[in-house]
Amino acid sequence: MTGNGNEALIRVEHLEKRFPVSAGLFRKPKNFIHAVDDLNFEIPVGSSLGLVGESGCGKTTTGKLIVKLYEPTDGHIFLRDPDREGYTDVAGLRGSELKVFRRRVQMIFQDPYESLNPRRTIFDTVAEPLAVQGIGSVVDREEKVAHMLSLVGLVPAGTFMFRYPHELSGGQRQRVAIARALIVEPQFIVADEPTSMLDVSIRIGVMELMSELADHMGVSYLYITHDLAVARYMCQRIAVMYTGKIVELAESEELLSNPLHPYSRALISAVPVPDPRLSRDVIEIKGGISKPIDPPPRCRFFTRCPLADKECETSDHPPLVDRGNNHFVACYKV
Amino acid sequence: MSRMDPMLAGGDSDMTTPLLSVKDLKMYYTVRQGEIKAVDGVSFSLDHGGSLGLVGESGCGKTSIAISLLRLLPDNAQIVSGHVWFDGMDLVSLPEDQMRQVRWDRISMVFQAAMNSLNPVYRVGDQIIEAMQTHWESITEAEARERVAELFDLVGLQPTFMDRYPHEFSGGMRQRAIIAMALSCDPDIIIADEPTTALDVIVQDRVLRKLEEIQKRLDMALIYISHDIAVIAEVSDRIGVMYAGHMAEIADSVDIFERSLHPYTHALIGAFPSIKGKKKELKTLPGEPPDLLDPPSGCRFHPRCPRALDICREEQPPLRDHGGGHLAACWNPMEVD
Repeated sequence: MTGNGNEALIRVEHLEKRFPVSAGLFRKPKNFIHAVDDLNFEIPVGSSLGLVGESGCGKTTTGKLIVKLYEPTDGHIFLRDPDREGYTDVAGLRGSELKVFRRRVQMIFQDPYESLNPRRTIFDTVAEPLAVQGIGSVVDREEKVAHMLSLVGLVPAGTFMFRYPHELSGGQRQRVAIARALIVEPQFIVADEPTSMLDVSIRIGVMELMSELADHMGVSYLYITHDLAVARYMCQRIAVMYTGKIVELAESEELLSNPLHPYSRALISAVPVPDPRLSRDVIEIKGGISKPIDPPPRCRFFTRCPLADKECETSDHPPLVDRGNNHFVACYKV
Repeated sequence: MSRMDPMLAGGDSDMTTPLLSVKDLKMYYTVRQGEIKAVDGVSFSLDHGGSLGLVGESGCGKTSIAISLLRLLPDNAQIVSGHVWFDGMDLVSLPEDQMRQVRWDRISMVFQAAMNSLNPVYRVGDQIIEAMQTHWESITEAEARERVAELFDLVGLQPTFMDRYPHEFSGGMRQRAIIAMALSCDPDIIIADEPTTALDVIVQDRVLRKLEEIQKRLDMALIYISHDIAVIAEVSDRIGVMYAGHMAEIADSVDIFERSLHPYTHALIGAFPSIKGKKKELKTLPGEPPDLLDPPSGCRFHPRCPRALDICREEQPPLRDHGGGHLAACWNPMEVD
């Protein structure tokens, strides 16, 4: 599978999510958006995967499926269970098993202004997962929250605990969101554009914090971002998504220096370079992303692809195949 | 030693006059808690056909400069002092009826969230035609339609889309229509405030290249405002780095990257990840931008500055020319080898 040899922490198999397209108030929907379509990947223990792509490519849907904010239409998500040597299928979890899952897998959202409840103090927000999980007494929780706040750089923790979100800056709020996700000591965190709303000088601090905590607490991330440069710094591997499909997956440096899929090549060539001395080759592709509403079975990139030919038109969407060096590409032409 | 940039000497200079010359501009917002000094003594100039990128983090005053140039100020904001020289006129004191002829016709602007400003009940093309007819009374309907078609093509929209309604456009398409609208009256200057921030990278790249191409071809001047120094590097000949209402440094693009003098510029570039070249270590800048209700004394960057001296706490550094039009406001600039 598309891992790198280490034991998988999470394994996604044939994951699919379809959303009905509304046909009117009393009509049964006939069409479906194939938001996530036959996704297969693994994230090894202690490694992070960057999921990149343009808006509407299905990256956020994938993240929400993994944390069970959405139920998949089809396919499986297996999470490694440290208590027994094996994997749990996330799809079937109910009751107490679901509660255990919620402790193991957490999510950090993009907008630190919207993801924190304005009427709750920082302490309430960060301690909530502990209360839900029934971890520790109230006194223990205070100690734990204080420890966590100092870990995320909100020091001295005592001065932050009983403040409200509006008293904090964007960077500080995102640190609170990170503290809330980490307080239950999860194995795995889905981070959906956690730094894209932050200013440059603040952003690096939050990125560094997330990397340090990953090492320190043994957490892996699925790092969802539109920014390839951020993914390069945060993740060992990067997967490029296009309209519900992973089209390429490789080690970050390999993917950025040697992209194989025509879409990845175009995407990478379009990233502005913060240096006027460096020029970049522009790879032009036609058209724009359209919603994958009941797409034909052929390659999703067909209509925009400069390499497309008869084979691409008549065959199914190409499978993700290893081209050596754990560099996976879904294309017939490379 | 410290010589004022001749470009900053104002509209009455005998030297080759720049197209636009901003002198010691101050724009403050009045809020309940006091006065926010959003733009506090900023000077810069823009040549004919030149492109200036203004870069800085949220709240540094870059958008406030843009709306000051066009005098599109909210009720609680006012230009306290300074001059904006443009074609022999001072836009700060120009009567409103004359200002209206400058706005859009000669200086147009693409706003940050402009894609949400299209009227949903009119066809997109008609809205551009209407804007054109307001300013060019002589233009016929047919000419206007033809021009809209050209402009749509220029910004990468299918000309046939001009007869569609805004809801039929994606966010990126709407933003491109807005850029087409800003270009419609052949302005001397376009001020683009984060015009591509809401766009995906491939579309952004297309828009940036179009904008650059149009700017060069029409010999139009461009003020490009962004928080993204990578985007700024792509579109600007000159870059102005802003911090907390002040211009920290302004120089030719390559000089900003190769020989940045201001520690803030240095930090900003050092904190920006790139997908190209060796994976350099990103450097964190400690602290957060200051509260402009109560800005730090002296240089506003001094509480975060690794090179701060005693004088930095006491006295605001002037924007000084360090040679070759490279201006920086710093008491202890970075050494250049």
